[in-house]
Amino acid sequence: MDTIATNLAEAPDIDRGFIRVRNARKIYAAGDKSVEALSEVNFDVARGEFVAILGPSGCGKSTLLMMCAGLEEATSGTVEVAGSTVTGPHPSIGIMFQDPTLLPWKTVLQNVMFPAHILGQPDSEYRDRAHKLIDMVGLHGFETKRPHELSGGMRQRVAICRALLKDPDILLMDEPFSALDAITRDEMNEVLLDIWHSYAKTALFVTHSIREAVLLADRVLVMTRRPATVVADIRVPFGRPRDMSVIETPEFAKLCAQLRGMIEHGTGKSARRPGDGPVLQPGRHGGEE
Amino acid sequence: MTSRFERLLSIALPAATAIAVTVTWQVAVTLADIREILLPTPLAIAGSLGRNLPSFLQQALITGREALAAFTLAVVAGFAGAALISSSRILREILYPAIVALQLIPKVALAPLFIVFLGIDAEARITFAALLSFFPILISTAIALHNTDFAAVRLCRSLGASGWQTFWSVRVPFALPAFFTGARISSTMAVTGVVIAEFITSREGLGFAILDEGSHSRTDAVFAAITVLCVLGLALYGAVKGLEMISVRWYRG
Repeated sequence: MDTIATNLAEAPDIDRGFIRVRNARKIYAAGDKSVEALSEVNFDVARGEFVAILGPSGCGKSTLLMMCAGLEEATSGTVEVAGSTVTGPHPSIGIMFQDPTLLPWKTVLQNVMFPAHILGQPDSEYRDRAHKLIDMVGLHGFETKRPHELSGGMRQRVAICRALLKDPDILLMDEPFSALDAITRDEMNEVLLDIWHSYAKTALFVTHSIREAVLLADRVLVMTRRPATVVADIRVPFGRPRDMSVIETPEFAKLCAQLRGMIEHGTGKSARRPGDGPVLQPGRHGGEE
Repeated sequence: MTSRFERLLSIALPAATAIAVTVTWQVAVTLADIREILLPTPLAIAGSLGRNLPSFLQQALITGREALAAFTLAVVAGFAGAALISSSRILREILYPAIVALQLIPKVALAPLFIVFLGIDAEARITFAALLSFFPILISTAIALHNTDFAAVRLCRSLGASGWQTFWSVRVPFALPAFFTGARISSTMAVTGVVIAEFITSREGLGFAILDEGSHSRTDAVFAAITVLCVLGLALYGAVKGLEMISVRWYRG
């Protein structure tokens, strides 16, 4: 994107805060009551970093991701992507939703090409790239199949290709594999790790699976329900290229246990750095329903 | 095995019912010695149909043409109305109550007004039949356009699609099955509308033929004309059903 390139030249520290969330709050009005879906969230994602947002369902992590995508507005606070405030959907962001959201009347190839179709760009420009992506996720030979002929895992593979078609700078993923069975989920995690080797973008990945977060991410942000905010920011010590074998290491198990403890107790004290500001509100954490 | 048996049953049972009714009718009328003018036998109706076929086919052509025109008009009006209603809340609040109120009027009562407004020619009959038949298309399409899969609309939004693009590339395809359900109902109503209008304007068409034969107490010919009308209605319905099956095949692959 032009804007991103210019901004980078002017402000090199943008790389450190490629995604920058500041005091983001989201309050939904529900009848005459209001529900705080997100309270005072702050974090940065560096360019090229893979960050997982980990938390129980209903902690506002999807809301946070949708804000970064420009699909939800913050009640207060700001979300910046590549130096400019997010006000709506951005062409340099690719999104994967929990549901693959394939159009049933389109073939695999047509679904992957859908973003180009919406942008009104000629097919020829993207067809080679679409085929390359389809090959990369192992769907070669399925180009002319319809979504109903594919398994759940294959559909999410199509959704990955569609999200990457425009070569976005940022990939946002909202629990993309949570509807899949455990075996397929492992397969998809492997596919994603593979893609990361060749496409190293900036990624924000929302999940409620501790294992998935540790396996995929460079950093894990832990969110809790009350308060609905980021309570811990944990660096994952495994390098890249990474594969499924890290799961077998003792460090992996230890980190998972540590994260589980944080979610259960709703605290991230041990991992908080000075200067993060008060994110814990005494007396409001713990005792989840 | 079972499925083949069931398919056979789904053809055999309706056919057997039709044959049973016809035979019972023939036997009952003959045995009870009912006068031909009150209730002709199926055989008498068949005879009359044979005699009058050339004239009835000519009338059917007129009625069919007008019904097709009315149905086309109903499709265009129903789809356009559905698009307007589903596109904006303000338009929905303005149009929807008025359209529902229009549905509450027995539209047969409006037919004489159409003659006052538009005369006794084809335009009046077509407009009346279109008015009678557009509602099922409008209502089913409007609901489907409005309730498009949330995830698909969000996908379009995330890709920066305009409202117009979202409408044509996602909302309309998703609404197609509902549109055809409405269209099938509308197609039968379009034929009904034209026949009612022909009763009133009374110059040509199958509706006119039915009225004319009835006024001369040729009951067998009335039944014969109704038979032709049934075939005409089925043809239009079948054509819509055929288009629906093509669209479903496109949709599902």
